[in-house]
Amino acid sequence: MIRMPFLIERSRLPLARRASGWFLPWIAALSVYVAVLGGIGLVALGDSVRGWDASLAQRASLQIPADASAARLNTVLALLRQTRGIAEAHLLDPAETARLVEPWLGRPIAIDRLPVPRLIDLRVDGAGAADLADLRQKLASIMPDAVLDEHGLLLDEWRNAATRTMEAIAAMLAAVFLITLWSAAATARAGLLLDRPLVELLQLLGAADADIARPFRAQALWLGLLGGAGGAFAAALTLLAVGSAGRALSLGSLLPAGGIADWRVWAILIGATLLAGFVAMVAARITVLRRLARMP
Amino acid sequence: MGASPKRRSVSEMAVVRLENIAKNYAAGAEILKNLSLVLEPGGFYFVTGASGAGKTTLLKLICLAEAPSSGAVRLFETETAGLSRAARAGLRRRIGIVFQDFRLIEDLSVTENVALPLRVAGAPETEIREHVAALLQWLGLAEQIESLPTALSSGEQQRVAIARALVARPDLLIADEPTGHVDQQTASLLVRVFERVNRLGTTVLIATRDIGFAERFASPRFHLEQGMLRSAEAVAQ
Repeated sequence: MIRMPFLIERSRLPLARRASGWFLPWIAALSVYVAVLGGIGLVALGDSVRGWDASLAQRASLQIPADASAARLNTVLALLRQTRGIAEAHLLDPAETARLVEPWLGRPIAIDRLPVPRLIDLRVDGAGAADLADLRQKLASIMPDAVLDEHGLLLDEWRNAATRTMEAIAAMLAAVFLITLWSAAATARAGLLLDRPLVELLQLLGAADADIARPFRAQALWLGLLGGAGGAFAAALTLLAVGSAGRALSLGSLLPAGGIADWRVWAILIGATLLAGFVAMVAARITVLRRLARMP
Repeated sequence: MGASPKRRSVSEMAVVRLENIAKNYAAGAEILKNLSLVLEPGGFYFVTGASGAGKTTLLKLICLAEAPSSGAVRLFETETAGLSRAARAGLRRRIGIVFQDFRLIEDLSVTENVALPLRVAGAPETEIREHVAALLQWLGLAEQIESLPTALSSGEQQRVAIARALVARPDLLIADEPTGHVDQQTASLLVRVFERVNRLGTTVLIATRDIGFAERFASPRFHLEQGMLRSAEAVAQ
């Protein structure tokens, strides 16, 4: 059996009984709230990036001017189908094009009366399989106004933006972690100050530093978990609200792929709560031991 | 009368051995100068001297509350300089201290105050309850076990402080001015308590500025003047 004395042993010394750390649960709650939302944001963003990879990495599109003749369209299609690395070239019919512009122009759309370019959806065999620069040159000689959109480039930009966002979220989580650490240390220092006469007496009676630190550690663990649970609960409510709002606005759930039931959401909720307690406990222990080490 | 030190060679065993101790504070005052003394197991000693003679500093050195500026402090034949904090705590657990100002924790009951050394030692809860209750009864405090120290008279607080010092059956009992807050009759009674403890084998060291009081007991006495022992040996009566 694994022993976890720091969690199960009842403190025997009457220390850390005063409410010296009232602010720690609030800081822990806020930290966990921010950490959960940030962590779930990271997961959701990661899911999105993977979705873009899957859907766009092997795609490109070609815009043909609306007034292009059928003969020239066929020439272009023939060129595309002969190009090595292009697995499929699909000319979108007016109905498919109408669906694409529907979010901006609304319904119903008389697409035939609008100067909307014709679109050819290209599926390439894999990244770098098709020489799109060469294709662009050939297209310029056949149809100079055609525009080849390589989604891979756009995807790279999105991916970079997502990475920067993830880094910002990670930095925010680190800041939250440090604030919790500082709060727990401040709580332990305040507790030590309040109990200083008793601590000095216990030292003279032969109490080991670890025994003196244990009640402060237990207090920090309890306050951290208490605040963390409150923060996690508030974050869960926020996630439910965000999910509902996202669906109501047709933006998707704005949550990781599995929504609120996704196991990763629960892992983050529970993990952040436990982490708040653990960080508070470790910070309190280190703080108390360092202070005691300065005493005779 | 206190028991005589058990007959054994000083070099063989000592509870406390101070060698050429000096203690200076940052302000420059030299509190103790070239002080050496030995307390043998089972001995009953007084250390006397006027206020400011260095008695309390001497006791602080013995209970490891302070370190000497120079010289060696050996407790139970263990050199204390360079000891780990855990080892120092282990030595302190063998010493019972009656502080001059009692140092009772005001928001803990009499029972909880007295139980502190046993909790520090990790004694089982049932043993703590039984032992503390018996000791408080012996010291005439059975009616005050749930009281807070602030509700007690000075003499009762004194006895609670003594109970706390005795409860873990220390090898060495140190008392700093234990008679300072009580009348002569109560003081004599307290010393009788110390003598009974001493007969059970505990070495006792009492610091007092009341030389006349100490001279009433046929126990070895160290006299401090301006941080120096008047004699390197205890002044046997």
